[in-house]
Amino acid sequence: MRIGVCIKQVPDTDSHLRIADSGREIDDSDLNWVISSCDLCALEEALVLAEAEVSRGEERPEVVVFSLGPARVEEALRKALALGADRAVHLAGEALQGGDALADGCALAAALAKDHCDLVLTGAQSDDLGQAATPAVIAEILGLPYAWLVMAVELDAPRQSARVVRELEGGMNELLRLDLPAVLAIQAGINKPRFASLRGTLQARRKPLHREDCSAVDAGLVGAAGAGTETESVTLPPAGAGGVVIEGVSAEAAAEELLAHLEREVAL
Amino acid sequence: MVLLPHTYQSAEYAPRLAVRLGAAYVASVSSATLDACGGLRFSRAILQARLRAEVRPKRRLVVATVQIGAFGGHDPVESPERVFEVGRPADVERHREREILGREAAGAGGVDLPGAERIVTAGRGVGGPDEVSVAADLASALDAELGASRPVVDNGWLPREHQVGSSGHIVAPNLYVALGVSGSIQHLMGMSGSRVIVAVNRDPEAPIFSVAHYGIVADLHDVAPALTRLLEARRSG
Repeated sequence: MRIGVCIKQVPDTDSHLRIADSGREIDDSDLNWVISSCDLCALEEALVLAEAEVSRGEERPEVVVFSLGPARVEEALRKALALGADRAVHLAGEALQGGDALADGCALAAALAKDHCDLVLTGAQSDDLGQAATPAVIAEILGLPYAWLVMAVELDAPRQSARVVRELEGGMNELLRLDLPAVLAIQAGINKPRFASLRGTLQARRKPLHREDCSAVDAGLVGAAGAGTETESVTLPPAGAGGVVIEGVSAEAAAEELLAHLEREVAL
Repeated sequence: MVLLPHTYQSAEYAPRLAVRLGAAYVASVSSATLDACGGLRFSRAILQARLRAEVRPKRRLVVATVQIGAFGGHDPVESPERVFEVGRPADVERHREREILGREAAGAGGVDLPGAERIVTAGRGVGGPDEVSVAADLASALDAELGASRPVVDNGWLPREHQVGSSGHIVAPNLYVALGVSGSIQHLMGMSGSRVIVAVNRDPEAPIFSVAHYGIVADLHDVAPALTRLLEARRSG
């Protein structure tokens, strides 16, 4: 059995974000790059599922991580290998870059199909664009069943289907059964991702990391050519609701000022 | 153009629909405009609502999902009635590869957030499980329910029934105090209807300030205890 995990490298949202001079993207000269948080949960879930198979006496499924992007993405893949993935595929081809969710999903679907993954895990949405589209696009292109916002996964003994808990609005969950192969988009909070050990980091250097160009895919479907959308501009959000801002005073003074306002507003 | 609400139901299949139709896909848009040439532009939050992007579809057909609450309701206008009834297409077999087995409540209950007049919410900025008490103390001084943002629940600092946001409770109390909440779109969707919103956060760029009526740019670990002390002094005096 093989579990494919798609991860995306994104800017650390705690780092200071500046808009590039072009006005069309963020300035990436001085950013920290990290694995998107839900994608780390997807990798953790893959590793947990693999360990669960071993403890039921089955052969350990191979966990393969996939990521699309420029050279810096290799760092994210090495980290995934350090966390316990067995092998990595970097969708590095020049023609694959500059796409949107449709184009990236197309390239990832091709790479996942080439590796015959029985189960595909991704994060529920990326921390940067947050469209929650790529896993659904992968599922559609591969013709596989799909669940979004997955909060629990259990494989049945013959590994023919997965029982899944998926989040709904308003504190409700939905229980699903999906035939394998399937694509599951993992929601934050399903697990606590592990930290890489020193041993894992050292082992990661020797694990295979393969570059993939997806040259079998029609070049019009991937990269900038395959994108259905284009970002025209990136701006700071509109200034606040015109609210009162209290800053630069002591905590006591801020508390007094706030309570004076609230006294009028909500009759404390 | 095909428009759908960005709910947990429709946003699951909407990208698949776009692929099947050969359409462009734009998720959770908050506004749409037409440029001088009649071209569509969508505005949407990116990088967890820290920035906005204007997105142009490059295909004639577009599937877009609309962020809940992005547009106010309008009174229905008089229009020729054009509602089409669509039956189940004859060639679509019932899918057996994905089967819904049931539904259940995610949390244990016992916390009445939707019914609360006042809510004090602990965000990731409280720092850890032992420091949630800073929010709990202020909540009790204000006779408020204790809420939590998603990271607080995901980290296990508070149980899931405290969660405010689209995946937890949608609330609209008289007073909403957000302590160390950065303000993801999902969180803002869950509380932006509150009558008076107070935000305390060290980061002046935190998106929560965009919906706050009163914003205090400071460390919540200084401000919240100061508020609690003032309220308690007032109560005993």
